[in-house]
Amino acid sequence: MRVVVDEREFAGQAIDLRRAPVDVDGASVAAAVSGGPTAGKDRDAGRSSSPPGDAAGRSSSPPGDAAGRSSPPPGEAAGRASATSDGAAVRVDCPPPGAVHGFVGHVAPDTRVSLRGALAAAARSRGLTAPEEDALRDARAELADCDAPTVDRREARRRAAAAGEEADRLRERVATLRGRLQTLRDLGRDDAADAAAEELSTAATRLSEVETERLAAAQRLDALEGRMREHRDARERRLRLEDRVANLERAARESLAAAVYDRFADAVRRLPGTAAPGDAPGAFAGDPVTGALGVVAVAAVDAPVVLSAPRFDSAITAADRLDAPVVLV
Amino acid sequence: MVGPRDRGIVLLVVTYSRAARTTLRNVCRTHEETVVRRFGRAALLAETELGAFLALRLREKHAADVQIERTAPFNEFEAVPERVRVAAEAYEARETPSTPYTRFAAGTDHPSPAAMRGEEL
Repeated sequence: MRVVVDEREFAGQAIDLRRAPVDVDGASVAAAVSGGPTAGKDRDAGRSSSPPGDAAGRSSSPPGDAAGRSSPPPGEAAGRASATSDGAAVRVDCPPPGAVHGFVGHVAPDTRVSLRGALAAAARSRGLTAPEEDALRDARAELADCDAPTVDRREARRRAAAAGEEADRLRERVATLRGRLQTLRDLGRDDAADAAAEELSTAATRLSEVETERLAAAQRLDALEGRMREHRDARERRLRLEDRVANLERAARESLAAAVYDRFADAVRRLPGTAAPGDAPGAFAGDPVTGALGVVAVAAVDAPVVLSAPRFDSAITAADRLDAPVVLV
Repeated sequence: MVGPRDRGIVLLVVTYSRAARTTLRNVCRTHEETVVRRFGRAALLAETELGAFLALRLREKHAADVQIERTAPFNEFEAVPERVRVAAEAYEARETPSTPYTRFAAGTDHPSPAAMRGEEL
């Protein structure tokens, strides 16, 4: 690995940045290891879609060769960069980080990791697989195939409501006109009464049309609701599959964490800090930073782990005890 | 929460995905006064503007994974023919608990399940 801070270069498996020309914070170096804050987004969004010029800090990488999925052979690692808070540029050339780095890529004094997830990632980095893996793959495939069609009823709801309002309005108008007609007839104002009668007839005709529309709109909405109700069976099934996948994932994490727990317990006992590992991830009662370091020690780690928790005298000691490339800040 | 003109109508919100279920759970936690009742992946919300707002927000976020119904208390004396009410009462008072309803109704005035199935309330 190679780390460049303000044009000063450090190389090797154990790098101590505590005597770097400028202050460097652990979060920035960890971000540089994992590809910087923007590179992470690119990876999710699909690399081909990022517009030219968006690759700030990764200028030398051709499109499609950005940090992440392709794993370059050691020594030919993708360049990454990020900036420290005071503006000093940090560049780290290293193999791409694995899932373990999501948990313990940066071990700071206040680091708290979820041991079950972290140890499962550590176990996977060692090539272990969970007994649930096959069932999980099947369930995921079934979930991916699970179609949940939908019926858009929004417009139908709007129409039904509008037709209802219009009918109510017309019904009131017909009642008003009927009253006026009666009054005019009582007063013997026949000309005005005839005009009112005509108005009433028009309104009544319109009301009957709108009532028909209202009925049609209500029936249409009913039919759509009925179809949607049938589709909900598919959604119900999909939800059960989602739950099944989540349960299997949890079970797989537990199996994997259990598979490396003895090794983890040995590691924390040998590392600096309080070790009280108990016999399962849930029983760990030791120092959280020691727990995080134990995860590093158990995992197969290619990309450097950044340590800002002061637990080791030197980067060389840390790299040796953790069996991992280390940047001390 | 309960207005004077309240007829016990509530908004029933049912979720159909893990994400929608989680949002519903969070909404229920932060708006207890609007939640009439909570079930696993469903809830009854008060029929207020806030209840409607919360339900619509859920549907905006999770589209067809959220079902919203407006439900009212069931008055059997208003909605159900007497023969059906009487049949339910009589069946629950039967002497032999193991008798299925179809056999119980056969040869009596009680309606058969098939007859009731076809009749809308």
